[in-house]
Amino acid sequence: MRTVSTGRFLLKRAIQGLFVVWGVVTVVFLLRFITPGDPVTFIAPLDASQELRRQIAAELGLDRPIYVQYLDYLTGLVRGDMGYSYISKTEASTRVFARLPATIELAVAATIVAVALSIPLGVISATRRHQPVDYGATLFSLVGISTPNFWLGIMLVLVFAVQFGLFPTSQRGIGSPQIVAELVYVTVQDINLPFVGRPGTGAQLVFEPRMNVSAATDAAVTWLAHITLPAITLGTYFTALITRLTRSGMLEELGEAYVRASRAKGLPESLVRYKHALRNTLAPVITVVGLQLGTLIGGAVITEAVFAWPGLGTELIRAINLRDWPIIQGSLIVIGVGFVLVNTIVDAFQAYLDPRVVAD
Amino acid sequence: MVGLDDLPVPVSNETLGRVREALTPSPRTIRNLRKELRQSGLAKLGIALIVGVVLMAAFAPVLAPHNPKNQTLDENQLPPLGFDRKTTNTTTEMVNGSITIVNQTTWVNSTVEHPLGTDSLGRDMLSRTIYGARTSLIVGIVGTSIAALFGVTVGLLAGYYSGRIDDVLMRSADVMLAFPSLVLAVALVGLIGTASLRVPDPFVVVGLTPNMPETFTLPGTVIIVVGLVNWVWFARVARSEALSVRSEEYIKAARSVGASDRHIVLRHVLPNSITPIIVLATIQVAAIILLESALAFLGFSGTTLSWGFDIAQGRQYLSSSWWIATVPGLAIVSTVVGINLVGDWLRDALDPGIEGEGGGP
Repeated sequence: MRTVSTGRFLLKRAIQGLFVVWGVVTVVFLLRFITPGDPVTFIAPLDASQELRRQIAAELGLDRPIYVQYLDYLTGLVRGDMGYSYISKTEASTRVFARLPATIELAVAATIVAVALSIPLGVISATRRHQPVDYGATLFSLVGISTPNFWLGIMLVLVFAVQFGLFPTSQRGIGSPQIVAELVYVTVQDINLPFVGRPGTGAQLVFEPRMNVSAATDAAVTWLAHITLPAITLGTYFTALITRLTRSGMLEELGEAYVRASRAKGLPESLVRYKHALRNTLAPVITVVGLQLGTLIGGAVITEAVFAWPGLGTELIRAINLRDWPIIQGSLIVIGVGFVLVNTIVDAFQAYLDPRVVAD
Repeated sequence: MVGLDDLPVPVSNETLGRVREALTPSPRTIRNLRKELRQSGLAKLGIALIVGVVLMAAFAPVLAPHNPKNQTLDENQLPPLGFDRKTTNTTTEMVNGSITIVNQTTWVNSTVEHPLGTDSLGRDMLSRTIYGARTSLIVGIVGTSIAALFGVTVGLLAGYYSGRIDDVLMRSADVMLAFPSLVLAVALVGLIGTASLRVPDPFVVVGLTPNMPETFTLPGTVIIVVGLVNWVWFARVARSEALSVRSEEYIKAARSVGASDRHIVLRHVLPNSITPIIVLATIQVAAIILLESALAFLGFSGTTLSWGFDIAQGRQYLSSSWWIATVPGLAIVSTVVGINLVGDWLRDALDPGIEGEGGGP
């Protein structure tokens, strides 16, 4: 019974998600037509003749009617084609997806920092109410949600990079896959994905063990040194937010009748707190965190700007300044679709944690 | 089903009167607010911080010791009171026919003239921080008003009519939500451009403070964009409130005696949804102030008198003059902490039962 309704719930969510994705693509496509400025002006030389301008517009396909351009863009997207960068003339999708891993790495690191710190802190704070640790946690979460993360990043750089020289001030240094690459070298041969690329024999992963342990350790140290400050910068707001939510959720749950009943029948306090109360606290916490995912991605954009982190946000801002439309559109679509995707996953996870969600 | 001409979009005096009535708190609400305020020191701190920032913004020309735009290059990067800055002066000297380079360490001391120091162009940090409060507050309050007006209208319509209107409005809200507000704001401000509006400063017009800037620059695009990217939150709250009251008996009763939809929405649905909307609006002012500072930091702003702009400037001088980036950041944090504390106070007082129940072992 439960599995059937959960399945239908997820299917409904997925269909809704598809509609939102279509909306995202359409809005992003229309953005070029509702904002002032002709893209050709940005590409053409300042003294370009009308003839040259027309020629550039025709080359980029900008002289066609809107609906033709729209359909063309949609069919391109389905094949993974986002057009060519106006500036560098390379494939927009390649550029966008090349920048994506750095952003995901940063967002995941920040989430790990936030979850690892905030849930214990929230629980401790709720169970030791009106004690110094509770006041400390409350103060931290108040200041944490009130601090602009770019400023926090600069302050961290000021203290830990400039004053003490413990961390580098900026750049990514090394990507996490490179740590693994020192141990096992993985190559992909002959990719044959549906809709993308040419027909072939199928994807083949070739593993080549290297086991450069010392090199891997060096890489890991470099990686950690570069990601620590950005991850704290991006993660602090969420640490503060989740601490707050966990604390108030736990307080509410601990006052419920079932907690009193469990205590009355002699269940160990740890079981009451962590198995029952905490589990019921987490479902609404996850909802809010899911809704705040946008803040995480938005925060990543500005954190990247502070630390010169070569992610999607840096690419987007560069493209906006240059009016490189295929890159702007591609980055926005990846961000929007990523949000919808992660949110759907969060919904599914929540349905698993709290089956009451499905009933709504 | 009613026609679209019944929608409460055109705002008449009568409508305004009803909205005002809906916004007037009941005696019980005022009692709750007072009681909560008496018990909470944090709420008092929040109100004090907000009053401080509002006064700073309102009387900026009177309070600021210097013109925030005046550059005095020979007084650049002066440290705040109680600190000093070490610099190395490099001079060349002719000694016995050969040139030697002499590195001389000198100390730059703070002056009472510039209690919070000066920036890289010798502009007074205290004055810039005071003027920055104006930008933050105006963008925060006007931006929130735009978001609330638009979002609450959409949300009430969606929740009250439900059905197809609801579906269309809420799906478009979902599309909006898929773009993080900062990303959308950066894209919109970056692509539309930063139009700004110069408003004459009343203090200077009257002649009270002749040395201060004659006009104050309102970042027009930023104000509208931060409002437009945040309406969804209001729409969601207003919609769920409208959904929960629309099936109440008194709404049915009002409908059965022939009350128009506009009457019901303004007279019954809005007043019953106003509490969560006010709490949300408070938190949104804080969120929009943070958003404005982020936009200014990234260079997408229409004004140079903004805390975020100063932080971006100070970032280049971190190793020599830490205060340029630090001071405006502290101003942002105190303002936003103040607003969040007041938000907590309103939530606790207007919505009893959310927090403060339960209790540990």
